[in-house]
Amino acid sequence: MRQLVFLSGLPLLLLLIILPILPFLIHAEHTSNWAVLVSTSRFWFNYRHLANVLSLYRTVKRLGIPDSQIILMLPDDMACNPRNAFPGTVYNNADRALDLYGDNIEVDYRGYEVTVENFIRLLTDRVGDEMPRSKRLLTDDRSNILVYMTGHGGNEFLKFQDAEEISAFDLADAFEQMWEKKRYHEMFFMIDTCQANTMYSKLYSPNIIATGSSAIDQSSYSHHADNDVGVAVIDRYTYYNLDFLETHIREPGSKMTLGDLFDSYDEDKIHSTPGIRWDLFPGGEQKGRERLVMDFFGNVQNVEVGAGDEFGWNETAWREDLVRLGEMAREARGKREDGGRHTGPNSTQTARETPLRSRKRVGAVKVEAEGGWGKKIVGAWALLGCMAVWFAGSALT
Amino acid sequence: MPAEEKGALESSATLNDSDGAFDPIDGVVTNVETPKKPPPEPAESVRIRTLVVFSFWAVVIFLGLPIWWKTTAIYRAKLPLKDMMEWADGKACRPVFPLQISIEAPFLQELDAQHLLRTTQHALDDHNDFSAHHLRLQLSQPSQLVNATAHVEGKFAGMGVVGPLEDQEHVALLVRLLPGESGSPPSAILQSYSPTLEVFYPPNQIPSASSTSSPLASFIASKLQEIFAEEQAMIAYILSTGASSASAQTSGSSGLAGHASQNPQPAQTSARESRSSLIKALPADLQANLARRTTRSLKYSPTYHLTFSLFTPGAAPSSWDIENAIEQYLSPLLESLSPISNFTIDTQVQLYASFSPSVRGPEFDPDINAWTLPTEDLSGFINAAEWPLSPSIGGAPTVNFILYVPSADRSPLVVKENRGNSWLIPQWGGVMILNPPASDSLAAQTASHLSDEVLRPAFLTFSHQLLSLLGTPQSPPSLPLRLLTLSRVRSASLLLSASSTLGSLARLTLALPSISIPRAVAVSVDRTLSHLHDACASLREGQFQRALENARIAEAEAERGFFEKSMVGQVYFPDEHKVAVYLPLLGPVGVPLVIWAAKEIKRVWRIWNVGRAGGAGR
Repeated sequence: MRQLVFLSGLPLLLLLIILPILPFLIHAEHTSNWAVLVSTSRFWFNYRHLANVLSLYRTVKRLGIPDSQIILMLPDDMACNPRNAFPGTVYNNADRALDLYGDNIEVDYRGYEVTVENFIRLLTDRVGDEMPRSKRLLTDDRSNILVYMTGHGGNEFLKFQDAEEISAFDLADAFEQMWEKKRYHEMFFMIDTCQANTMYSKLYSPNIIATGSSAIDQSSYSHHADNDVGVAVIDRYTYYNLDFLETHIREPGSKMTLGDLFDSYDEDKIHSTPGIRWDLFPGGEQKGRERLVMDFFGNVQNVEVGAGDEFGWNETAWREDLVRLGEMAREARGKREDGGRHTGPNSTQTARETPLRSRKRVGAVKVEAEGGWGKKIVGAWALLGCMAVWFAGSALT
Repeated sequence: MPAEEKGALESSATLNDSDGAFDPIDGVVTNVETPKKPPPEPAESVRIRTLVVFSFWAVVIFLGLPIWWKTTAIYRAKLPLKDMMEWADGKACRPVFPLQISIEAPFLQELDAQHLLRTTQHALDDHNDFSAHHLRLQLSQPSQLVNATAHVEGKFAGMGVVGPLEDQEHVALLVRLLPGESGSPPSAILQSYSPTLEVFYPPNQIPSASSTSSPLASFIASKLQEIFAEEQAMIAYILSTGASSASAQTSGSSGLAGHASQNPQPAQTSARESRSSLIKALPADLQANLARRTTRSLKYSPTYHLTFSLFTPGAAPSSWDIENAIEQYLSPLLESLSPISNFTIDTQVQLYASFSPSVRGPEFDPDINAWTLPTEDLSGFINAAEWPLSPSIGGAPTVNFILYVPSADRSPLVVKENRGNSWLIPQWGGVMILNPPASDSLAAQTASHLSDEVLRPAFLTFSHQLLSLLGTPQSPPSLPLRLLTLSRVRSASLLLSASSTLGSLARLTLALPSISIPRAVAVSVDRTLSHLHDACASLREGQFQRALENARIAEAEAERGFFEKSMVGQVYFPDEHKVAVYLPLLGPVGVPLVIWAAKEIKRVWRIWNVGRAGGAGR
C-alpha cells in the first residue's frame, strides 16, 4: 500500500500522452528581429535608392530594431556628395521635413564594400575572423529577418554598383543555405526595382514571404523629384509602403498585419503591379496574411516579467546558496590545483582577466621616419646604378 | 623531281626571290593578263604545314584542354557524406545518460546495503520508461563498486566498468543513508549546496534478504526520480526536437531539387521514426513549458560576454560600486559555471538616458502611489536606437543586464501588472528597475553613488536571470545538482547541433554542385566526426564532463567547416553567359585551326582516294 502512495507522488512524467511534436516547432515564436537593408546603386542620379533604404532604416529603427541588428549597405554617400545642395542630409520627400541621415546612423557596408560577394557572405555568414560582429548577420533559428533591396534590376537579376549583378538563383541558393543552417525563423523579402517580382521567383526555401514592386517587363517608377535637390527622391513602391508604415504603425504595440499592408497597395498609385509570394510560407496566404507587420519591421519580444517568481525563489536562500557556492568553488579550485588538473581554475582566471585586457586601448601605431635616410641613400644608389648602365649601353652602341 | 629537291635545299625566302610570281607587283600585272597558277607546292613544305597543323592541335588537345579543365574545375574535397547523414539522422549515435548514484550506508551491514540497492534499482528500472536516461546505483565502497555496476549494468555488458579512482568525478548524486527514528516514515533532505541526498530511515524498514520489495527502497526510488524528473524531461525534449527538426530539414531539402511544394508536409522518413522510438512523449503542458524555456535560453557558446549597464534619466547616480558587487554576488556563480562556459564582463554607466519617443511613458497610479509600466510596453522599454548596448567586444555573444534608476519625480517605478521591478528578455538579458530607497539617509547616499549594499537585490536578480538565460533547470533546489544537469543538457544539445550541422553540410554539398569544398572543410568534418564519436562514447560511460568537452570541440569544428570562408557559393553563371565569355576568345583562334584541320583532312582524304584509285587501276 505504502508503495502505491509513493508512486502516485511520482512526477507528471508518468502520465504520458503521445503528442505530435512538430506543431510546437512551427508555432514557436521568434526572439529577435534583424533587418538587412541594401541599396545597390551608386552615383548622384540614384539618390532615390539610397533615400529608399535610409527611409526603411529609419522606420525599422523607430519600431525598435537596434542598430546592432540592422545591416545597412550603402554604396554611395549622398549626404556628402558635392552635388548635394543640402550637405549632410538626405531627404525622401520634397517637403524636406525629415532628414534621413540624422546624427545617429550606422552604415555597416559602404562604398565598394557593397558587392555581390559580400552580400552573399553576409547572408551565409562565411566571413573571416577579422569581421567585426556588427557587420555580421548573427541570426539563429529564432530570428525573423527583413531583407529589403533596391536598385536597378532586370529579369532575374539585380545590378550591384554598375559592375556586377546578383541573380535570382544566387539569392535563392543563399537563402537555402541560411535555411539549412537554421539561420532564420521567418523571412520577409521585399524588393523595389524594375521587374522585381522575377527576383523572388526562384526562391525555394520555406518560411519566406516575398514581395516586389513590379511584374516582369514592368518598370518601377520614382515617386517625385525635389527640384532643389535636382533628382527624384523616392520610388513609388517604397513611398507607399512607408506611407502605410508611418500612418498605420505608430507604436511598437501595433496589431496591423501583413494582409493590411498588402491591401494598401494601389496599382494606380504605384504605376506597376506589386507581387506577393506566399507559397513558401507554411499555411500559405491565409496564415501569412495574419502575420503582424511588427513581426518583421519591429522588435517585439515576449518579455517575461518576474521570471524569478516561478522558481519559488526567495532572495535570502539564493544569497546563501551563492555564498556557499563561492566557498565551494574556492575549495574545489584549491583541490584541483593540488591535484595538478587544469580544467577549471585557468578558465576562471581568464574570465577575470579578459575584461581588463579588453579595456586597454591599443592606439594607432605611428609611422616613424626612422631609417628614412638609409632608404634614401639606397634609392639614390640604385638610381645612379641604372643611369650608369644606361650610359654604358649607349656608349657601347 | 629537281624542283622539289631545290625547294628542299633552299628556304622559302629563296623561293620568293627566284620566282617572280610571288612579287606583288609582278603578280598583279601578270594576273591581269593571264591567270597564272602558283607553282606547285614543294612536298616538303606540305609536310611541314601538316606538322604545324598537327602540332597546333596537339598543343590544344594535350596542353590547352587539360589546363582549361584543371583551372576551371571546382575543387571539391571528398566528404564522408554517408557518415555525416547518419549522424544527422541520429543513426550513428544514440545518446544515453547513465547517471551514477552513489549510496553511502555507513550504518548498514554490507549485505543489507547490497540488497537494498538491488531492490531500489529494480524499483527505479520498473518506472523508468525513457531508456536513454537512467539512474544506476552503486555503493560508495570501492570494493563493491564492480559488483554493483556489473549487476546494474547487465544489459550494458562490455562497455567497461568505471574504475573506482575516476569514479568520484562522475557521481551525479550521493545518497547518504542515516538511521532515523524508528516508527516514523522515511524522510529525505536534499542538501542545497552539494549534490547529496540524506535519507533518514527507520531502522526497522531495512529489507530482509528474502523480500523483493520494501517501502524504503521504493521511497528512495521515488525521491531519486523526483529529483531527476526535470532533467529527464529536458533531455527527452532536446532529443525529440533534434529528431523532428532533422525530419523537418529533410522535408525542406526535398524541395531543393525543384521548388518547395505548396504545403511542405513532414516526410515520414525512416530517420525520424528511428529517432522517435527513443523519444519519450511528454505531456503537452510540460512540453510547452520546455519549449518556452529553450526559447528563452541562449545558444551555447564557450564564452559569454556580460554587459552590466546603469541607465538613469538624469545626472545621478553617476557611479556604482560595481566591482565589489560583481565580486560578491556574481563571481561565485561564474566560477561554478566555469566548467561549462567562460564569462567576460564589462560595465558602463549612461546618464541622461531617455525613453524611445514612440513608447508611452510610465503612468502614475494614485492607488499604489507609484509610477507604472504596462507589461506590453516593457519590450519597448529599452531604447534600442539611443542606448549604446551590444558593444561588439570580442567574438562572444553578449548578455545584457540593465539597471535602470528612475528619476526622483518618477519613482517608485514598477510594472503595472505584478508590481514587480524586473523582467527577463529571452535570449537577450535582464532588466531591473532600482527605485532609490525611501529613507532619507540612504537616499542621500544613493543620489550620486550606488553602494554594493544598494546593488545587492539587483545583482541577486541578475545572477538568477543569468542562470535561467543559460538554460539551467528550475529544480531540484540544490544548485550544484542543477549545474551538473546543465552540463549534461548542454552536451546533449551540442551533440545534436553538431550532428545537424554535419547533415546540413552534406545536403548542401549534394544540392549545390557549383560550390567548392576546400580541403579544410574535409579536415573539419573528420575532426567533428571523431569528436562526436568520443562524446558519444563518453556519454555512454557516464563521463559527462569529457562528453561536454568533446561535444564542444565537435560543435566548433562543425561550425568552422560549414562557415568555411572560401566556400561561398559560386555566382550563378548561365550557359549563355559562358558562350558570351568564350566566343570572343576562342572564335578568332578556333576558326583558322578548324579550317586548317579541315583542309588537311581533305587533302589526306584525296591522296588516300587517289592512292586507292591508283592501286585499283594497277
